[in-house]
Amino acid sequence: MLRWIRDGGQTSEFEGVALVHLDLLYRAALRLTHNRAEAEDLVQETWLRALRHFDQFDPGSNCRAWLLTILRNAFLNRLRREGREILESDMAATEAGAARLEEASVARSSPEEDFFQTVLHGDVDRALKTLPLPFRLVVTLADLEGLTYKEVAQVLDCPIGTVMSRLSRARQLLRKELATLAREHGYSKESR
Amino acid sequence: MNCREFDPRLHAFVDGELDAGPMADAEAHVSTCPGCHGRADGERRLRQLLRRQPRETAPAEFRARILALARRERTRKQVRAWLGTPALAAAVLLLAFMLIARSLSTGGHESEIVASLVDKHLAYAQLEGPAEFASTERPAVAAWFRQRTGLRVPVPDLSPAGIQLVGARIAEADQHRVAYLLYEKGHVLMSVFMVPEVGRRAALAGRSMSFRGQEYLAQERQGLRTVSWRDGQTLFSLVSTLDYEALLECAEQLRAERAREARL
Ligand SMILES: [Zn+2]
Repeated sequence: MLRWIRDGGQTSEFEGVALVHLDLLYRAALRLTHNRAEAEDLVQETWLRALRHFDQFDPGSNCRAWLLTILRNAFLNRLRREGREILESDMAATEAGAARLEEASVARSSPEEDFFQTVLHGDVDRALKTLPLPFRLVVTLADLEGLTYKEVAQVLDCPIGTVMSRLSRARQLLRKELATLAREHGYSKESR
Repeated sequence: MNCREFDPRLHAFVDGELDAGPMADAEAHVSTCPGCHGRADGERRLRQLLRRQPRETAPAEFRARILALARRERTRKQVRAWLGTPALAAAVLLLAFMLIARSLSTGGHESEIVASLVDKHLAYAQLEGPAEFASTERPAVAAWFRQRTGLRVPVPDLSPAGIQLVGARIAEADQHRVAYLLYEKGHVLMSVFMVPEVGRRAALAGRSMSFRGQEYLAQERQGLRTVSWRDGQTLFSLVSTLDYEALLECAEQLRAERAREARL
């Protein structure tokens, strides 16, 4: 893998397993912070924490989930420190409410399926930004990064059932937002 | 499976997260129920749209910083393990303080630059493709620098010494913009850094070495050899595990190339 040999200072075991996940951490941090400098800072903090607690990492277990867990905790700690508190326990209530809402409004009709044709470059980013943090996080992990439900559950420290309900709600919100953006494009085209 | 049973399994079905039994049941239902088929299809398309999003990578500069961070942390740990007693630690702290104070008074600024250049070399040496602009063509590399920075960067031909051009980068070191050429000899990387307008406020640190009538400063850092010199307002620094003779030879070629360019 390494093209250049240098004498002195081997690549550490930590870098050996963690370095391949650096891009993933960076992308996830960008989705959380929406800001490059902040994302870099968050990954740096994650990296140092991981490095310092590497003895707690079980070599047989999932490294990317482990690193993402540290990233998520570091991010939530930041929010708390800054007073931008988003309690994940509030989520339970939100989700219950959302589920009832979902049943009432049969919002998953098919006509809006056509909006896929009109999704423009950048729409997904914009739509994702409108999602509340817990939904944004679950979509980022499962849909953008392709983590399994089990991995997502580990990162979010919640049961798989919660991952499923949150993901379903997140996708529904995302779909609604994308459809709105698509309608806006359609509207602006017609008005021209 | 009927629609009511399928509904809560829709996402797990689309994500391939159902166990074999329920998966087969769900497939059977979807193949006979247009409504659920349509919904599964819609979810699949959303999923594909999301998976198709461009996947950004961490900027090389940031990656290098992360690598340097890990290395510093490692050194810190080793030092900690090595220092058994608090008294000894205090003594070393004092010594470190004295060293810092000393380096601040004598050429601290530029040793810092050289230190960060060494960090950069180490960081990029770990990358599969360390060049931002990969090319073995000297004119192409020179043109890239001109276009990107407006700088005229001498790109010497070191191939007679068996050293091949790999490419170039633009880097930041100590708040300076740095032109960075990468060469390799076999599997050994050599970095050539050029820091324009470095200022005259401090002398370069290191052992002075004379080579064919020119003065250079040599420093060993983290198992690497560095050869640095100033030419007008520009600081030049070579970093590699190559021996000093090879590095000085390259330095000489670089000077000659720069002089040749100046005449043009
Ligand atoms: Zn059905």
